[in-house]
Amino acid sequence: MAKIEVKDLSFKYPLADKPALKNISFQVNPSEFIVVCGKSGCGKSTLLRHLKNSMTPYGIRTGEILYGGIPMEDLDQRRSTSEIGFVQQNPDNQLVTDKVWHELAFGLENLGLPNKTIKRRVAEMTGYFGIQGWFRRDVSTLSGGQKQLLNLASVMVMQPEILILDEPASQLDPIAAEDFLQTIYRINRDLGTTIIISEHCLENVFPMADRVMVMDKGEIIAFDSPARIGHHLADFDNGMCHPMYYGMPSVMRIFQPMCVSNENSPLTIREGRIKLEEVIEGHPELLEDIPAAHTLPDNKTNTKETSGKDILSLKNLWFRYNKESGDVLRGLSLKVKEGTWHCLLGGNGTGKSTTLKLISGIMKAQRGSVVVDGIKVGSAGYEDKLFDRCLAFLPQNPQALFTEITVEEELFEGMLTLSLSDEEKVHNVEKMLELMEITHLRKANPYDLSGGEQQRLALGKILLLEPRVLLLDEPTKGLDPFFKITLAGILRKLVDAGVTIFMVSHDIEFCAQYADRCSMFFDGEIVSEETPKNFFAGNSFYTTAANKVTRKWRTDLVTCEEVSQWIQTEEN
Amino acid sequence: MYDENGCDTDSIAVFFLEGNRMPNIEKEVKVKRKGFGDTSTFAGFHPVAGLMYYVLVIGITMFSMSPFFLGLSFAMGLTYSYLLRGTQIAKQNIMIAIATLIAMTILNTLFTHNGETVLFYINGNRITLEAMIYGIAAAVMISAVIIWFSSFNAVMTSDKIIFLFGKSAPVFGLIISMIFRFIPLLKKRFEEISMGQKCMGRQMEKGPVKKVKQLTKEVSILTAWSLEASIESADSMAARGYGLRGRTSFHLFKIVGRDIGLMVFMAVTGAIAIFGCAKGYTTMYYYPKVEGALPGPGGIITIAAFAALMSAPIIIDIYGEYRWQRLK
Repeated sequence: MAKIEVKDLSFKYPLADKPALKNISFQVNPSEFIVVCGKSGCGKSTLLRHLKNSMTPYGIRTGEILYGGIPMEDLDQRRSTSEIGFVQQNPDNQLVTDKVWHELAFGLENLGLPNKTIKRRVAEMTGYFGIQGWFRRDVSTLSGGQKQLLNLASVMVMQPEILILDEPASQLDPIAAEDFLQTIYRINRDLGTTIIISEHCLENVFPMADRVMVMDKGEIIAFDSPARIGHHLADFDNGMCHPMYYGMPSVMRIFQPMCVSNENSPLTIREGRIKLEEVIEGHPELLEDIPAAHTLPDNKTNTKETSGKDILSLKNLWFRYNKESGDVLRGLSLKVKEGTWHCLLGGNGTGKSTTLKLISGIMKAQRGSVVVDGIKVGSAGYEDKLFDRCLAFLPQNPQALFTEITVEEELFEGMLTLSLSDEEKVHNVEKMLELMEITHLRKANPYDLSGGEQQRLALGKILLLEPRVLLLDEPTKGLDPFFKITLAGILRKLVDAGVTIFMVSHDIEFCAQYADRCSMFFDGEIVSEETPKNFFAGNSFYTTAANKVTRKWRTDLVTCEEVSQWIQTEEN
Repeated sequence: MYDENGCDTDSIAVFFLEGNRMPNIEKEVKVKRKGFGDTSTFAGFHPVAGLMYYVLVIGITMFSMSPFFLGLSFAMGLTYSYLLRGTQIAKQNIMIAIATLIAMTILNTLFTHNGETVLFYINGNRITLEAMIYGIAAAVMISAVIIWFSSFNAVMTSDKIIFLFGKSAPVFGLIISMIFRFIPLLKKRFEEISMGQKCMGRQMEKGPVKKVKQLTKEVSILTAWSLEASIESADSMAARGYGLRGRTSFHLFKIVGRDIGLMVFMAVTGAIAIFGCAKGYTTMYYYPKVEGALPGPGGIITIAAFAALMSAPIIIDIYGEYRWQRLK
């Protein structure tokens, strides 16, 4: 019997004019691994919330949801608590108590289990998740990845039959995200727990899935095995693919155009390599006339890298948080040319964000100098000059900037300290709303916006200060692939207008596709600094999926589009 | 920067520089003793034992004005606080004690006019020796209690307090735990907000009015952000069954033989001390004249019991440290 059965479910939020879910029907079998994907605001979260009765949103609902044959609304709360686990997006907000062990026990305490049973269950779970090492620690001392793992463990300790996860890895760095998803996969394989997970970054999670559900505007547009999903979304004959197609894993997008209709699409790097091996065997001419990697002209960075002055220059920076701790920066030096888009890549917790704080003068380096557009950071009275139309810093959480109740007022508030006439202010706000593509949201409350929209509002607010140098800390974190494209477009417009962008990121694919320069941060200094093409061509592990697939033959191809183009030009 | 072996010579240089600095750091550590903190042996006892100790000691100190009790309690409290929290806290405690002493003595002397021995008159008011002595005694009592609380903080950590509350009122226990969870979270958020505001050039405002305005803004951002975030926390609690009937309270503490032994010892010595006080063996009168016989045999037993009670954790900790050194 199906574990969960949804019959013709439609749902509308109280004040909305359009339904959030429309005629949704599907079944989930026991021990299945289901991935739900779709643009932000397509109704994924709303649907997932309907699958647990204490999370069901308030609104007008028709249709039926059966859990093991019982209507969801009649399901006993105690049973729902222990059998249906729910993990949300933000690692911090879900934690309730101050100690790791207490957090693990929280659900079991609510179920009213005796101390001895709780201890035993908690002991089992700590062993399974390998978190003995931090069992007695304060939750505030954990990293984001550890926090999310704790959230998962404190749900798993109730031994659920179904685990529902709403974008659980979107706030984590790539390594922690992969660890987390692997743990989910292991739970599914080891314990037979049914998994329903929604996710933006599909590279890792796609090969794990039994079935993938693609949603758009509150409807299910495809629900099939991951290797078949591409066929539902792509329509190359008409040259029009469904927008969701561009959110699919890179390997799938590279080879989808050449897959015949009954063929499974490759999903992993390994499958991609095997497929490419076949293609090259069939078309040996592909390997002729390959230009040597480093002689390639870069398609994006035209003349910018040679001309222009250094607007940002870091010289021999040494930094440690306090005397006893180790050095975070060890002689970091870097120059950024005016009007370029520079990405700083590197592992987690290595000091990339610290570098941004040093540039903006929030923290002071023990040795070395930071000069932003001729202003020496740390010199007397530098702040007045630095933050006056020179430097702006977008924090990781856009909420940190929101003070007003509408988007419009939020932007006005941004110009509070500027001496402009009211007409000029109105004009600037209109321009910014348009540039950020949030004009339709002008009366909305900033907190009602989606993650990507909040990000753009915060960026707009910062940009009203007319900075020449923009510092961004992980701007793509938690954004869906479509918002990333929009964001990239906006940032490119700024760069073209002469703004210098210096961003810290984990997002290899994003940097490869859009940046002008990339540099690798390791052990407190910059170990390589090049154009994205040369940068990723020179790396063999820390590189894009497309590059990993083609490295054996060509190291110069970095994005999916380039690889697709290479294979197809020869085909036609 | 790199030699022919590919070795980062700069880092080596730094390493040597730091190597030379090491002895200085050690010296510093020796001068400023850090204290046992929560590694103390007494802190490893069951929370009920810890609670019982502090209730007895602080309670007896507060309700007895005998100079023997006060002096002893002050000295023991200071010793134990130094043992647990180190030089810096001990210095702070002494400063607090001196300040309290001066303030209380002056206040009590000026505002209380009881007592037989008149020293002099101010504006026709009698300034008496008794009032001054009472002021000193009260100051010693108050500073002793404050000093006891400084070691209380090291021994009775948040999880113990939550456990003790959880026993009697589970909801309180959970609320305290949630507060301890939210304090560092709010701090982190506030740092980010403050950083964002600084980078918008908003913290350079001069003048107190503008500064207060700016701070209000930052606090308001923090409030809005935290309220939004708490919706997710509430969901997470509901999803894990908060609100079901019959909630239990999990803890990691267990009572073993030594806890019971210590509690029995504290009960006996505490009972003797309280009995002795009640009987008046150590009672001292300050008004109208400082009066109090030197302690007789009963008084000596009472004082000895109180001293034994107070010194229990000091002995436990010193013995624990000795054993730790010997086993190493």
